Amino acid sequence: MTTTTDQAQASPPNDEGDLLLDARGVKVHFPIKRGVVFDKTIGHVYAVDGVDLQVRRGETYGLVGESGCGKSTLGKAIIGLEPPTEGTVSIDGTDVASLKGSELRRRRKDFQMVFQDPMSSLDPRQSVESLLVEGMRAHGLASDGKKTTARLRELLTAVGLPAAALKKYPHEFSGGQRQRIGIARALAVEPKLIVADEPVSALDVSVQAQVINLLEELQGEYDLTYLVIAHDLAVVRHISDRIGVMYLGGLVEEAAADDLYAQPLHPYTRALLSAVPVPDPEAEDRREQILLAGDLPSPSKPPAGCRFHTRCPWRQETRCDDERPQLRVVEIDGVASGHRVACHWAEQIESGEIQPQVVAPTATVGDLLAGEADGSDEG
Amino acid sequence: MTDTATTPRPSRHGDEPLLSVRDLSVTFRRQGEEPFTAVDGVSFDVRPGQTVGLVGESGCGKSVTSLAIMGLLPPRGNTVEGTASFEGTDLLRLPADEMRDRRGRDIAMIFQDPLSSLNPVVSVGLQVTEVLERHRGMSRKAAQPVARELLDRVGIPDPDRRLKDYPHQLSGGMRQRALIAMALACAPRLLIADEPTTALDVTIQAQILSLLKELVEDTGTALVMITHDLGVVAGLCDEVNVLYGGRIVERGTRHELFANPRHPYTNGLLASIPRLDGARGAPLTPIRGSVADNLPWDHACAFAPRCSQPVDVCTAQTPPLEESGVRALRCHNPVR
Repeated sequence: MTTTTDQAQASPPNDEGDLLLDARGVKVHFPIKRGVVFDKTIGHVYAVDGVDLQVRRGETYGLVGESGCGKSTLGKAIIGLEPPTEGTVSIDGTDVASLKGSELRRRRKDFQMVFQDPMSSLDPRQSVESLLVEGMRAHGLASDGKKTTARLRELLTAVGLPAAALKKYPHEFSGGQRQRIGIARALAVEPKLIVADEPVSALDVSVQAQVINLLEELQGEYDLTYLVIAHDLAVVRHISDRIGVMYLGGLVEEAAADDLYAQPLHPYTRALLSAVPVPDPEAEDRREQILLAGDLPSPSKPPAGCRFHTRCPWRQETRCDDERPQLRVVEIDGVASGHRVACHWAEQIESGEIQPQVVAPTATVGDLLAGEADGSDEG
Repeated sequence: MTDTATTPRPSRHGDEPLLSVRDLSVTFRRQGEEPFTAVDGVSFDVRPGQTVGLVGESGCGKSVTSLAIMGLLPPRGNTVEGTASFEGTDLLRLPADEMRDRRGRDIAMIFQDPLSSLNPVVSVGLQVTEVLERHRGMSRKAAQPVARELLDRVGIPDPDRRLKDYPHQLSGGMRQRALIAMALACAPRLLIADEPTTALDVTIQAQILSLLKELVEDTGTALVMITHDLGVVAGLCDEVNVLYGGRIVERGTRHELFANPRHPYTNGLLASIPRLDGARGAPLTPIRGSVADNLPWDHACAFAPRCSQPVDVCTAQTPPLEESGVRALRCHNPVR
């Protein structure tokens, strides 16, 4: 296994005790079934296809990628909401992927999830108090009435809601406040790891910042480790210490947040970063975009070899089509040892030895409309 | 006529506004409830070949503005006041059937969610040909190759196959491109895009935005871009209107507005978004509270409870919109 040796190179000083989350070779495949009488499996959706992911205690790991890349499924596999088809997920030394039933439920105290849409993840018929107490009770943290009340107060203060909120119902709150309730619910059972799946993408820009700041404050206060899953690269860069970029079920690049944005090495990461609009007209006018052709291929029929080769402007005749690249440390001056890339040609692309092919532009919209206007005038 | 059509040059971009919206107000009335004014005296101009942005958060009235202009608000339960003159014709007073003719032919709109704006039981090809038949008087036979061409030009791979596909068989980006193809089918002179890329991934967003930019530059179509994303605005819009609580609070060319935001709301928005190009690690400065804290505009500034620098007059008097050229500002105590 090349991956294991790469791992060792990538993070040499890491003794196992430092890692809170250690996921290895995680695969989640969903069967595609067809048939009326007999369910025949006619294929699989390879949502997550072999991911190694390590998160150190106290850090924030950001997982970015576009829709359909498998980032949410990976998050669910990690906290045991979607049993992995293959691979191990160990949190704080326990293999969670193999746990079942009551044992898994008990362990869930250590890892909680914050969901994207606070409206659909909070039961509309439960008051805030009952939402928060439910989890505490399930984990035996609500035996003493007085202590529970004090704890609820503390939780609300921590997420910046008034104590009066306890008796209210989710619909009485704004989106940002609901997300605060979702965070308080996750915090209620004193978890070690919080997996936040798109925690701010349903919120207005001005409110997003409030929730991002809150997540950061709570991390310091409660010694939390975060796995933040998001599509917004600016948000992820802001809150993460390390970032992994996913494409079609696999990690294509992993690096410290600053390194990744300063020097993206994988062609997909380059394209992704170049596509993000920046709220600065001067920068926008200068921005050189790498426009990718076409769409994400279907995860039920992932391309052979490098999964990105169908859209990659740097694609080469050899290797790209038939050999799947593994995450590896690249030999480029000035690149940190934790910066790993799954690309056969990362060095050559960085040095400029391999130049991108320009994606053939289609005829302009102008030609089209001009040509057509003629047609209609005649008709 | 043929001349201008075959040579779409910037010369066509006149100084006369193509669309001129004046004092547009939309009030929703429901039985047993206080009337709610979603849009409150909004005025702006759009010239041919120009992109004008309407920016704001949810509930600021940006989408209602566009629906009112397009005549797409439900006929009952609301009052629309003001004028929206398109080459001298007030769209707001146009009879329904005349408006229907203009929609699609002169003015087209693309929406945020392409799946709900496409008919799920009609193939994509037929939906595009229908537009050509309805507004350009083409026969179905003549329209089909044009529809294929349109899909090809907006970057849909394998258009022959896609013509027969139904909306659910297309990805989000392709659906949005199909909608743009339908909007382009009649070479509209005004295109209103309501959050056209919000539901899309960034790499697809980049494709769609460059398509829109090309459209404006090559054909002189006027574009009204409605979005909450200041990044999209910074790259695309010539002129930006910032809306808050149904009113325009600041306006400027994109360079001016981003370099020198004067309204505390605009300033606050810019300070609250994490940026790819800035230093990392500095905490964000959010705008406190939420739109639920707004004051009514009648005797105050709606933004005052959330403002970073309110003064006494802010809660006592409505700030007027002070205009000088393109620039406009509605604030008692502007930044700097």
